Amino acid sequence: MTKNLRTKASKFIDETTRISFKFDGKVYYGYKGDTLASALIANGIHLVARSFKYHRPRGIMTAGSEEPNAIVQVNGNSAYTEPNVRATEIEIYDGLEASSQNCWPNVNFDIGGINNILSPVLPAGFYYKTFMWPASFWEKYEYFIRKSAGLGKSPTKPDPDIYEHKHIHCDVLVIGGGISGIMAAKTAAENNFKTLLLDEKPHLGGSTIYQNSDFDKINNQSSSTWLENEISKLKDIKNLEIKTRTSVVAYHGYNFLLARENLTDHLPFDKKKNKIRQRLIKIRAKKVIVATGSIERPLIFNNNDRPGIILSSAIKKYSDYYGVICGNENVLFTNNDSAYETAISLFNKGIRVNAIIDIRDKVTSSIVNQAEKLSIKIYNSFTIVDTSGYRRIKNISIMKLSKDGQSVTGSKTQINCDCLGVSGGWTPAVHLFTQSGGKLKFDYDDNVFKPNKYPSDQISIGACNGEFDLDTIIKNFNNNVKTYLGIEKTSYENLNISASKEILKKNIWLLPSNKPIGKTKSFVDFQNDATAKDIKLALREGFRSIEHVKRYTTTGMGTDQGKLGNMHALGIISDTSGVKMSDLGTTTFRPPYTPLTFGTIVGRNVGEFFDIFRKTPMHDWHVKNNAEFENVGQWKRAWYYPKKNESMHDAVQRESKAARDGAGILDASTLGKIDIQGSDASEFLNRVYTNAWSKLAVGKCRYGLMLNEDGMVYDDGVTTRLDENHYIMTTTTGGAATVLGKLEDYLQTEWPELDVYLTSVTDHFATISVCGPHSKKIVKKIIPDLDLSDEKFPHMSFKNAKIGNIKCRVMRISFTGEQSYEINIQANFGKSVWEKCIEAGEEFNITPYGTETMHLLRAEKGFIIVGQDTDATLTPIDLQMDWIVSKKKYDFIGKRSLYRSDTIREDRKQLVGIITEDPKEVLEEGAQIVADVSKKPVEMLGHITSSYFSPNLNKSIALGVVKGGKDMLGKKLFVPMKNKVINVQIADPVFLDKDNKRLNA
Amino acid sequence: MLNYNSPINETKDFNNLKMSEESPIMKLVIRGKKREFISKVGKLLNILLPNEPNTSTVGNNISALWLSPDEWMIHSNDKIDKNNNMYPIEEDLINNIHKINLGAITDVTDQFTMIKMEGSQIYELFSNSCPFNFNDFKKKKGAVTQTIINKIDVIIHNKEINVVNLLVRRSFSSHLWSWLNDGAKRI
Repeated sequence: MTKNLRTKASKFIDETTRISFKFDGKVYYGYKGDTLASALIANGIHLVARSFKYHRPRGIMTAGSEEPNAIVQVNGNSAYTEPNVRATEIEIYDGLEASSQNCWPNVNFDIGGINNILSPVLPAGFYYKTFMWPASFWEKYEYFIRKSAGLGKSPTKPDPDIYEHKHIHCDVLVIGGGISGIMAAKTAAENNFKTLLLDEKPHLGGSTIYQNSDFDKINNQSSSTWLENEISKLKDIKNLEIKTRTSVVAYHGYNFLLARENLTDHLPFDKKKNKIRQRLIKIRAKKVIVATGSIERPLIFNNNDRPGIILSSAIKKYSDYYGVICGNENVLFTNNDSAYETAISLFNKGIRVNAIIDIRDKVTSSIVNQAEKLSIKIYNSFTIVDTSGYRRIKNISIMKLSKDGQSVTGSKTQINCDCLGVSGGWTPAVHLFTQSGGKLKFDYDDNVFKPNKYPSDQISIGACNGEFDLDTIIKNFNNNVKTYLGIEKTSYENLNISASKEILKKNIWLLPSNKPIGKTKSFVDFQNDATAKDIKLALREGFRSIEHVKRYTTTGMGTDQGKLGNMHALGIISDTSGVKMSDLGTTTFRPPYTPLTFGTIVGRNVGEFFDIFRKTPMHDWHVKNNAEFENVGQWKRAWYYPKKNESMHDAVQRESKAARDGAGILDASTLGKIDIQGSDASEFLNRVYTNAWSKLAVGKCRYGLMLNEDGMVYDDGVTTRLDENHYIMTTTTGGAATVLGKLEDYLQTEWPELDVYLTSVTDHFATISVCGPHSKKIVKKIIPDLDLSDEKFPHMSFKNAKIGNIKCRVMRISFTGEQSYEINIQANFGKSVWEKCIEAGEEFNITPYGTETMHLLRAEKGFIIVGQDTDATLTPIDLQMDWIVSKKKYDFIGKRSLYRSDTIREDRKQLVGIITEDPKEVLEEGAQIVADVSKKPVEMLGHITSSYFSPNLNKSIALGVVKGGKDMLGKKLFVPMKNKVINVQIADPVFLDKDNKRLNA
Repeated sequence: MLNYNSPINETKDFNNLKMSEESPIMKLVIRGKKREFISKVGKLLNILLPNEPNTSTVGNNISALWLSPDEWMIHSNDKIDKNNNMYPIEEDLINNIHKINLGAITDVTDQFTMIKMEGSQIYELFSNSCPFNFNDFKKKKGAVTQTIINKIDVIIHNKEINVVNLLVRRSFSSHLWSWLNDGAKRI
């Protein structure tokens, strides 16, 4: 740290705590409270980066989030590395390592700087024009273009930090903790509004808090002292929550906003550990007061981008807030009074101000008069025509402006400087307002866009509303906030305000030079190296819309989103094309206002919380017994249980064989279960399913197909009549929630006359399905009192039972084609019953099987899986399930659609069985089925929906959908694969036990 | 005798936040539209079913939570015998409501896992992933809402100030429990 670059102590900086950090590999020191930018300036470092396109040396230009140049890579190649961090925003901490971006081998000597020499042949649109031809060369160009694209390096290691989200609801959200925001938050909270105040800086107070001008006084106190006092009162106000280091990044409709809260970015590594780094706050506010202030504009002149050229207000902030001197030989260049404040503040600190260059004629405001009294040299009606100094500005050349401001006259005068402060006026920060859908209007007095039409319950106050003088801010505050909050008075109505009033305003978007524009480099967008010349070129080439010019020249497209230069780009377009600023409009301000890390967006939705998952009551048993799981809906379902080194195929073959030969056990708890009660329950089922339900006897089960309104199969399952007016419906695992939603929707909107109530009981029951020739013996051992004889308990029937004192329901239903019992018991007893079944079935080689084996077993029997064998384009008739569609019922969901000309076509795709000529050949699911492989283009008749090798039939079996398939039994077709064509034959979809002997055995 | 396995079965103590599974608690969903249904349930349970949305009533033995205009959850206030799932209350309701077509009675005892939470940080934790506005809710004794926490459907019953019953479907409960524990470590 260079001692002579620190002014006297600043209360915002803790000079007792020295902090070491590295920049470009070299160790520097700063104080607690410094940003990387202020610490670098205090160490005499201005050259911090190279520009994107021309690799021109660039320095710190601002002291805020609008910074276009000083964006750095932090924390090297570690997992904590992050590109494009604004040096003006990051607070230094012990161990911080930062480095310049977009330069090689280093920022002082950058090979890419050759682009600056080549710049005359690299205008806007260079890439679009150059790399169009020859077309075949694109891949060669692409390699180099991609290599040079982007700034900084993305991290390659997983992010070790923790991020979180948070929802906050408030009556009033105040965005911005400057003087307007503080007054608004205090007023709202004192009037019983639950208020949230957010500010992106570590301290509240905006620019007023370090204001030391004698001209801005409130009640005869300096405005900073007055504001400090107001801030100190905030902590005693209940209803008020304050969050600093918190930046609103998005303002969506209906007052839904997103903010990023930085919690540990300013802390050293040892203090960050296990703490949340950043939090994404999701805010729903009844009212929003936008007090985001304004951003100082640069001026657009030849070579306006050298290190050491800094916004005038930033120089003042570095000096008054951080206690850092930007230069020892300062010159200020302005079109307004703000630069005079900076000049006087520097002068009062004993820092040299060589000159003020003012494009205006003689100005008589009190602050200008004060500067004159201090003998600061002022050049009125002058402009800078050039600057020099490669790695830091050395001097400027000025010339007299012509009357109309469009040219320069007289001779050049050279003034030495090591820091040039520029002030082109102020742009209200309307970004969030426009994100919310607000409409702007152009104010020709101040040359700014101001809020005009509010799209939601919100108001803009202070500088972001185009109010720049202290007395205007306070006066408008009292009027506007009182009306907005519906309150009678504020505590700020009788303040005594004194402030210097700006008398003369003059704006020239592009300042003239003594050189033709083609020979100048007047940067408009500093980050993307877009110049005034580029914008004019775009207009000459026919681009008219501001959105097109933006994309052609890349103006406003960097990480800063053109916060500094967008207004100038618009102004230059307006001046050049003759279109009024109000007609031109602005480009779209899109979220985020400042860049967000991916971590903040993702929050805790990483690792085990990436997605939610559901567990069955027997989940732990499956884990313990080596199950592999598959995701079905949100469930983790046991997929198969490999033994030792078994592959999935081997395990499934073993499980399938065991289920047919001995006994198998499946966890079927995931199936959706809906409890249906009411005197109209049977009628309800008649309307929901395609088949008839009124005559189903109590204690019996029936399979049903549910259609969509378009007649396509939507879901299926077995429904059991528990008593006269009580059913339990099962649905597919993945369809449970949507089926319940659909049925409840029908009851509430279409059939309110029905006395029917639905309640989900999916999670209440554990479902244990025991199948196979020995299943009856196993269930008998578990529930000895239950009469399992075929007469008393035939296939498709149900019994209430008890295991010990615990009631349960037993259904004899089967999805495998084997004799099968499903025990439905209260979930907390599920694991115990499962274990008892395993124990009871040990002598019969009971084998747990997963979903893959279940799929194979049901395919052998020709049972469909909705969602695998169907795809929302198949009717029951297409599935060759005509038998399930009642012809007698008056109506059911989808009935009408079954008789449309398209749904009755004979050549629709229909479900068929498919066998391969080579019984060992297993088809790929999804493979196409064709009749003629030589026909070009090949005519695709259908595709394979399910395919397995059946160990029980010792051959390959498949289900598929084929055009006109039901009349093609025995027909030979082909399945063309990448390296071969497989001969197949259409078969009956039921491959095993067509007479249901096993089911009823 | 069957073993009883509740999905969480543990207690956790954090900074101003204590969480534990309340189990076994009898839970029934009762549904009905008719006035007679309301009065009959009231007599049978000796409790007035709440008719104001998102509220609850607490009786000597059971609590009733409003879920929708024709739907309530009633649950036992105390733990029940884990070795018996035949509930006299359920039987009474089935005989006097369901069997005469006044409404529906459904046992959902294990459909929902009840997590009892105590402490001043409950809603801080919820706000990490729940979009619901708890500003007034947390001050209102007996308030009930159905919302989502960490993308999971839940019923929140603000039993007392700083005492909450969180009801979550059993299959989601261990995932939600894990999420609650993760967030609670940092509040």
